[in-house]
Amino acid sequence: MPALEMSQVRKVYGSDDQQVVALHDVDLTVDDDEMLILVGPSGSGKTTLLTVAGALLRPTSGSIKVGGTEITDLDDRQLARFRRDQVGFVFQSVNLVPFLTARENLLVVRQFGDAKVDARAKKRADQLLDELGLGGRGHSLPSQLSGGQKQRVAIGRALMNEPPLVLVDEPTSALDSELGKQVMDLLRREIKDRGVSAIVVTHDERVLDYGDRRVRIVDGILSSAPDAAAAGATSHP
Amino acid sequence: MRIGIKELLRQPGRFASVGVALTVLVVLLVVLGGFLDGLELNQTGPYRAHEGRLLVFSEQSENLIQRSELDQAQSAQLAEVDGVAAVGGLDQIESTASASDGEIVDIVLFGYDLATDVIPSPPTEGAVVDGALADRNGVAVGDTLVIGPSSEPVIVDAVVDDLSQGSPTVWVSTDRWREIVEAGNPAALPPTGVNQALVIEPASGAALDELAAELSDLADVTAVTAGEAIDALPVVQQQSATFEAIIGLTFVVTLLVVALFFALITLERVGLYAVLKALGAGTKDLMAGISAQAVCVSVVALLLGFGLSVVFVDLLPADLPVRLVPSRLAQIAVGVVVTALIGSLFSLRRVLRIDPAEAIG
Repeated sequence: MPALEMSQVRKVYGSDDQQVVALHDVDLTVDDDEMLILVGPSGSGKTTLLTVAGALLRPTSGSIKVGGTEITDLDDRQLARFRRDQVGFVFQSVNLVPFLTARENLLVVRQFGDAKVDARAKKRADQLLDELGLGGRGHSLPSQLSGGQKQRVAIGRALMNEPPLVLVDEPTSALDSELGKQVMDLLRREIKDRGVSAIVVTHDERVLDYGDRRVRIVDGILSSAPDAAAAGATSHP
Repeated sequence: MRIGIKELLRQPGRFASVGVALTVLVVLLVVLGGFLDGLELNQTGPYRAHEGRLLVFSEQSENLIQRSELDQAQSAQLAEVDGVAAVGGLDQIESTASASDGEIVDIVLFGYDLATDVIPSPPTEGAVVDGALADRNGVAVGDTLVIGPSSEPVIVDAVVDDLSQGSPTVWVSTDRWREIVEAGNPAALPPTGVNQALVIEPASGAALDELAAELSDLADVTAVTAGEAIDALPVVQQQSATFEAIIGLTFVVTLLVVALFFALITLERVGLYAVLKALGAGTKDLMAGISAQAVCVSVVALLLGFGLSVVFVDLLPADLPVRLVPSRLAQIAVGVVVTALIGSLFSLRRVLRIDPAEAIG
């Protein structure tokens, strides 16, 4: 079963004469254990696609299945639970909670709804921090961490609930070349080691080779990137 | 909720402004409540001295002793009711007293028949004085007081708690009271066999409320508890209404302060809340954190406010009628916490409108 199936997904902002079509009847499938790189210029709709795939926005029409579950039918509470359990997010601006330590930032996703910060969750957080090379920084606040360390904490947070799908928004935009490479190496390793699927949105050319497949989006229309197989990506403008 | 508590612990400075404002409001509430209780206690000593008894007034008197008159027949009728152990008279008149130092002070002179938990049995000739007169004028057992315009002498037989009714009170037997009133102000003396009010001592095990209802069914009388008699006093009603209005207004200000603070802090946190929503937090999770912060801040403000209030009240002149009563402090504590909780919920609408998609931009 694919990790993500988007079928005829359309997203329109505004109404009447002010309508802007951000996604044009997009079909996209991301297989299990696949890391997909989504590239496109600013305003092309790549963030909208990520947002819709991650159940942060409802599509205007179309179907989205994550792990076989149709998410367009879920109400707000179900969507919140779905995001907590089924999707990991790595935001462009990292967005760690400033007054929580690195370890607490990983555990934060266990504090919502009926989730619990139990011994197992704490052990997993410690294990993730070790794997991310932050074993000694678990008690540091974000303000005490470097940009790369913050990004690693954000990756750990995305993986904390063992989601089948991880969505990554511009992971290297604020990092220099060396740090960007380190983060992408780490991200790919962590994602591949866990067998989860990921969509990495970027316009950074250095990131393109980290994926199993590349898809380009322009004006809300998907197309295969020139040098990628892109077998699962088509669009219906 | 844990996230909210951790923010409070790690960034307490963010909550200093609302904490200080709430502390000041708590001090205000405690001092206002202290004045209300002090004034009420200062006006109601004779009634509080009859707690556990019933007070009977004539039906048209609106439970005010100065308007009431009850005759011997009514007294005898009351004494026959099951559950009544004893019936005694209670009369009062405003007067003056001068002690050995010659200073004349206003007093309220009571005539009574039955001992209570606070007042001993009426002395045959002497008087019982309350602690207010003893403390302020240095009156002690064995001193002679000169009462009223006719300068009736009474020897102090006992000193009891402060039973002020605006002025200090002096308690004598009903017979002695009639002698003093007849000598100094005969026009105010009730006819022979008539008392202004009657005190009912209930039989052991009798339920006061039920007995009061039964007695009130008799013609032309109303039986009430001491608390109900206090509530009927115009001075108490006026003071309570005034102070309770001010206290209520202070609670409204407390509500607005908390609501405004958390509304502003929620505006500041829109980005953070969007991220938390994107990570799976529900509105309920976020509101639980906000409310936990409001409750914690209010509890800290209460502790600080209570401490400061004790110091402040201690610095006030001793003759100001301020009393810190535990039940009033408990009311304020519950009121402030509940008000803070409600105030924090004013952010609900804003939190509901936060779009998790804002986390990605």
